[in-house]
Amino acid sequence: MQQALAKFVPSASEPWDRARAAHLLNRAGFGGRPDEIDRIVRIGMDAAVEELVAIDRVPETTAPPDFSALRAAWAAAAALTPANSTERQRFEARVTAQRLDNQKLQELREWWTAHMLRTRRPLQERMVLFWHGLLVSGRPEVRLAETLYIQNELFRRMALGNYKALVLAICRDPAMLQYLDNESNRKGRPNENFARELLELFTLGIGNYTEQDVKEAARAFTGWTRRGYTFFFDARQHDDGPKTFLGRTGNLDGGDVVEIIFAQPAAARFLPRRLFEAFAYLRPEDEVIDALAEVFRASNFEVAPVVRAILTSRVFYSPRAMRTQVKSPVQLVVGAVRQLGLEDAPLPQLVRAMDLMGQALFIPPHVGGWPRGESWITTSTLLVRYNFSGLLLTGGMPGVARRAAVPPALPPEAARACEAARTAGEVTDRLVDRLVGRALGADRRRALVRALGASDAASPFALDGGESERRVRSALHLLMSTPEYQLA
Amino acid sequence: MISGMTRREFIRKGLTIVAMGATAPSFLTRTALAMGHPFDLAQVTSRPGVPDDHVLVVVQMGGGNDGLNTLVPFADDAYYRARPRLAVPRGQVIRLNDELGLHPRMTAFKELYDRGAAAIIQGVGYPNPSRSHFKSMEIWQSADPDGRTLRVGWIGRYFDSKCPTCEVPAAGVNVGPTMPLAMRSDGGQAVSLETPEAFQWMPSLDGSGAREELELFKILNAPAPNEPGTIDFLRHTAMNAVVASEQVRDAVRRYRGGADYPNTRFGASLRLIAQMIAGGLPTKVYYAHMTGFDTHAAQQGAHDALLEQLSAGVAAFLRDLEAQGNAERVLVVAFSEFGRRVAENGSGGTDHGTAAPMFAFGPRVRPGLHGRHPSLTDLADGDLRHHVDFRSVYATILERWLGADPAAILGAPFERVPFLA
Repeated sequence: MQQALAKFVPSASEPWDRARAAHLLNRAGFGGRPDEIDRIVRIGMDAAVEELVAIDRVPETTAPPDFSALRAAWAAAAALTPANSTERQRFEARVTAQRLDNQKLQELREWWTAHMLRTRRPLQERMVLFWHGLLVSGRPEVRLAETLYIQNELFRRMALGNYKALVLAICRDPAMLQYLDNESNRKGRPNENFARELLELFTLGIGNYTEQDVKEAARAFTGWTRRGYTFFFDARQHDDGPKTFLGRTGNLDGGDVVEIIFAQPAAARFLPRRLFEAFAYLRPEDEVIDALAEVFRASNFEVAPVVRAILTSRVFYSPRAMRTQVKSPVQLVVGAVRQLGLEDAPLPQLVRAMDLMGQALFIPPHVGGWPRGESWITTSTLLVRYNFSGLLLTGGMPGVARRAAVPPALPPEAARACEAARTAGEVTDRLVDRLVGRALGADRRRALVRALGASDAASPFALDGGESERRVRSALHLLMSTPEYQLA
Repeated sequence: MISGMTRREFIRKGLTIVAMGATAPSFLTRTALAMGHPFDLAQVTSRPGVPDDHVLVVVQMGGGNDGLNTLVPFADDAYYRARPRLAVPRGQVIRLNDELGLHPRMTAFKELYDRGAAAIIQGVGYPNPSRSHFKSMEIWQSADPDGRTLRVGWIGRYFDSKCPTCEVPAAGVNVGPTMPLAMRSDGGQAVSLETPEAFQWMPSLDGSGAREELELFKILNAPAPNEPGTIDFLRHTAMNAVVASEQVRDAVRRYRGGADYPNTRFGASLRLIAQMIAGGLPTKVYYAHMTGFDTHAAQQGAHDALLEQLSAGVAAFLRDLEAQGNAERVLVVAFSEFGRRVAENGSGGTDHGTAAPMFAFGPRVRPGLHGRHPSLTDLADGDLRHHVDFRSVYATILERWLGADPAAILGAPFERVPFLA
């Protein structure tokens, strides 16, 4: 492998330690608790990465949502015709189905959140989230909630599979066909929406094709539509005339367009860059992307080798990468819940909190997907992120839920962190280690000690009921309301 | 005025001083005092004849607004030929003259137009137009088609230039979750919020415990020297949030908003902006968002509703401002990243195009049509040719509304468009 992508080799000065193990779990999953981090340190980097990448190693047990009643409602609405019903009956059947569809979408949002909270395949769910943010579909354009679930399962099934195959599958995906209008892309007057984003946002990037290529690709995808919940090729609407796309001429269809795209040098670099930016850091060095593109091309566009190469690389464990990534709202929320052992937290509130932070699952802002890096942060979203720990600790958060009269019990993992500690300083350090994984400056540590009601770090502290719990809650809320906690 | 300090430092030091202090109602006064600066908005003027209490409200019509179905060239047969399904029937157009008229759902717009409070700038675009949403939006927001300064936006550069009322964290207020590039500046003067209720940090304790917790919060979030970029950025954002939160909630408490706004997200954004203006925020530029203009399919209905939302929303906003006595201070400007293809597609929609009209509202605009309508037959790749560079519109706003030097901010001189005196 090329120098830019040299493998991480532990040494005396750069050991495979808790900080690096925690970094791997943060980026390839939703973080780890102290015992998990210790285990990753023990088994070593290679074994740890193999565990994460070998998704099928552990069974997945979450039951899928049930869409049968919703399908029946849409079928009932479709069965009404002017011959067998009044206009009012047809309207009401549509309204009933739409209402149920909206409920199901909300259920689906909660289902995926719950799945991320409990999954034993964290890298798989991180990849599903990555694909959702790259091959974007969502409400309101996608009218059938079930098709969003079908797409979500496609992402799960092909999480670390072959990208060319995934792109071809997304060209035929019922949610995508709705989202970018290809379902109504017809011969003679093509609709360019899907073709343009396929080139710009999914495979090549701007500057690697012309406006004429967009128009020709749109023609190639005419007639690629759906019947209900499955892809359908409508030969009557397909333009089978000659087309010239990226220099190749022929009676091209969508499949040919995908083939031609992946023959472009830009295609080999596009996805590796996005993956590297998702796992390591933004604006990577060209040499790193060159090396990853080589891995990608050599494997005929398999995703797993690229991800493995990133997660075992020296640059991945470099200062530029470690603790420098602004957590996405999903990372923040799912990570906090898992860290604190609060997997039974009310799902509607967690989903609402992510919405307010700017990451509404299945309702992306636009086809460009989610913000990244510092773009997640504004004065508005930062306060929402800070208030979120209040939701977990006090049950209340502005815009989400009113605070309960009696505060909920201290999160189990927070209580565990206090168990072996005898002083306010020890409690502070344990909480900081679990939640931030790196020491705070002296002033900031002192502020947390004060939040525990102690005059200095050596003051004794014991978790013994009401007042001490209130103090730990306050210190935790403050710790999670910091810039440091926003980074992974 | 700020000797020995960069303006970035000024802003940051001022902020820290305020944030570390107790709860004063007005950040502005405190910074002014802290810096020994006699801050009086009525007295500071950077350019003769332009009052410093002017406010600009930018409305972003995200997705690419179909200009041809907004300002309809109803006398042109080419329009009806290109759009057999989507064209607005001649008889339904709200006529402005013998050739052009508004979409029938824009009645509120027409009332503003008749009252002399609406201007339309036709055929706005830029050379070698990009049909990518993201690229074109970047170009409009950075005012830089060559992509040299994508770090900061055109309004952000105005904040960073000499603008006497800009050294406050709420110089720009974006109503929405994501800060638009247009408002990003080196000094970080713009804040984002969605609802005032959620725009505050809530301590976990009550009463005196809460006050102590807030004090510790400020210590934990206070900027410190020599910290890595992202942490530094987060600390300053947190400080800005705390300061602006107090200002905004204070302003909003004082004025509830009178006019009848449409019950939409956009309507709610404009109501909130009117409240902030009435509450006396020192904000120069507000930014509001509409989305959904990317009408590739089933355009009719969806686009109609958006045009009504825009018209009714802005009309309610101006009524509200008039009731407050603030209308004369406010200019509203609406833009989209591109217009749409002249010919409709087979999905009952339109694909990405180029030039489109911009709109300006307020009692101080020079009302009516400006520029000329692009030809529907002399096309470039099926798309309209622009006659007015959008940076000319910006230059006009910067000079005549904000009293700034447009050439410095836009990097080149651009002609003015006479929609402002």
